[in-house]
Amino acid sequence: MKLSAIRPIALVLSRELVVTVLLLLGVSFVVFIILFASPGDPFSVLLEGQLSTAEAKAGVREAMGVPRSWYIQYLAWLAGMLSGNFGTSIRMGLPVLPEVLRVGLSTLILTIGSLIITLLIAVPIALYSAVRGTNKISWPLTMSSYVISALPVFWLGYIVIYFFTHKLGLFPIAFGFSSAGQKYRWLYQLLPIFVLGVGNGTISEVIRYLRQEMGRVMAEDYIRTARAKGASVWKHAFKEGLLIPVTEIIASKIPFILGGAVIVEQVFNWPGMGRMAWQAAQDRDYPVIMGIAILAAVFVRMGSLFQSVVYVAVNPRASKE
Amino acid sequence: MKNYSQISGEISEFSDLPFWKKADVVDLVYVGYGLLIVALVVVSYVLGSFNLLPRDPQDIDLQLMMAPPGTAGRLLGTDFMGRDMLSRLIVGIQAYFLPGLLAILIALCFGTGLGVLAGYRGEKLDTGITYFTNLVDSFPRLVLILLVIAAFKPDIYYIMLVVGLTNVPVVSSLIKGKIQFLKQKNFIEADIALGVPTKTIILKHILWHHCRSLLIIQATLGMAEAILMETSLSYLGFGVQEPTPSWGNMVQSGANYFMQGKFWPSTAPALAILFTILGFHLLGDGLNNILEGKRST
Repeated sequence: MKLSAIRPIALVLSRELVVTVLLLLGVSFVVFIILFASPGDPFSVLLEGQLSTAEAKAGVREAMGVPRSWYIQYLAWLAGMLSGNFGTSIRMGLPVLPEVLRVGLSTLILTIGSLIITLLIAVPIALYSAVRGTNKISWPLTMSSYVISALPVFWLGYIVIYFFTHKLGLFPIAFGFSSAGQKYRWLYQLLPIFVLGVGNGTISEVIRYLRQEMGRVMAEDYIRTARAKGASVWKHAFKEGLLIPVTEIIASKIPFILGGAVIVEQVFNWPGMGRMAWQAAQDRDYPVIMGIAILAAVFVRMGSLFQSVVYVAVNPRASKE
Repeated sequence: MKNYSQISGEISEFSDLPFWKKADVVDLVYVGYGLLIVALVVVSYVLGSFNLLPRDPQDIDLQLMMAPPGTAGRLLGTDFMGRDMLSRLIVGIQAYFLPGLLAILIALCFGTGLGVLAGYRGEKLDTGITYFTNLVDSFPRLVLILLVIAAFKPDIYYIMLVVGLTNVPVVSSLIKGKIQFLKQKNFIEADIALGVPTKTIILKHILWHHCRSLLIIQATLGMAEAILMETSLSYLGFGVQEPTPSWGNMVQSGANYFMQGKFWPSTAPALAILFTILGFHLLGDGLNNILEGKRST
């Protein structure tokens, strides 16, 4: 790549990085405020019933080195987080960060895999109906995408499990990730990816958006010119009509798919972040769910960073905005 | 951040035809189906709140467990404790109806407020509001709700408050976009020149005349969102608890019998979720195509 092509990307990347850092600071603040406002911090549980007056409690707090004002607490917590200390899980008794990162990887696999499935379904339908308009084939396809988007993903999961265990008999019911060496292990790991990809409830929106953008580009003058001079229409329409909309929709749908992952991981026993979040919410395990919320926000922001880089790589003028 | 759930275009405002004559048949079918579902939900909600049910939804009948649909006296069959499915499905609407309305109300009020501030009042405020909406969008909704659940153990109304707040960015960005589009036209300038009070410009000329349909559409899509959230949470065990029925916990408890080949107890509520959410989605999209301008094809 030439230097002139890299410059705008570097410019936008640095600008977006600043925005990302600011947003992640905001995220950490929101998480802190929610937990700060929640009743029953560990400290008051510790002092429960031992001291009666507020002054006495405050005195003990001070003596034990617990800072009193909320912003000092926040800064201390933030500093701890920046040095990799996310606290210790109340239930597991382990440091949160390594645990969350470990399961975060499998959630990342699930999320990216199901995004690919969604796009594999949505892009052909969108392209077909953008080029050919509404006809006998594209209308039923669009309609069924609506139905699929409304399908509750947990029920879809059960149907798929039933089909593969009972009808096809490919693996036993209580088949988990621990049972290594099984013949169809890889298939079992693909199932949740497939279910989340189909059932995350965004397919119809993705199709609608891609079709509209592609339709808009196909009506542009430069496509008509390309067609008139016999050049490849596809080559001219690809960047504007497909690449940019796809990256945009990916970036904006990551939060939805992470949310759907919570449910799919529950159905399939997938050892990911969503399952851990569910467990943590059951046990009110604050440090864990905090770490998960922040890591999930990091995923989301990375997605949108990626989107702006692609955008400016396609359209370098955008860096001057 | 752009918004993909609703794409507004030019309004064909100079045509005198009533909107149902300009519309596509497909869109009218969508809207008709959606309105049917809305009517069903509202009627069932009213029936449920006055206890006008075919049977007591809590009435356990161990003689008639897992009855198939069409059994005499139990139109939609019974669940694993012999409780009447139809009554339970009707009562299940109680779980999301009012909380969903609350979520919609919050999303629309705050979204409109922020959208007007960002669109009408310009630059500096806009930066702040964009920051806020991006911040809200950074959280996966369900993770944020699980965080709130872990912190407060709230009931469904507080959860729906959070759902409503997470919908604020969508509404505010749509309103903002609409106002920026309207600002290119002359009537706002004319209003200002004529000395029309700002309150009238914003409330009447902008919101009432131009954003009304947009808000209705967002309300229907918001209801679909609320149903999805409530059923997901009940499925995960954080919403309505057994024995009170909710569609989510009905799917969940019925799923235990799935592997025995008994699909119905979990499929019936799943279908209820499917048809209802589909109805609200189609209503929203159909209205969008009819009222907010049309795709060019």
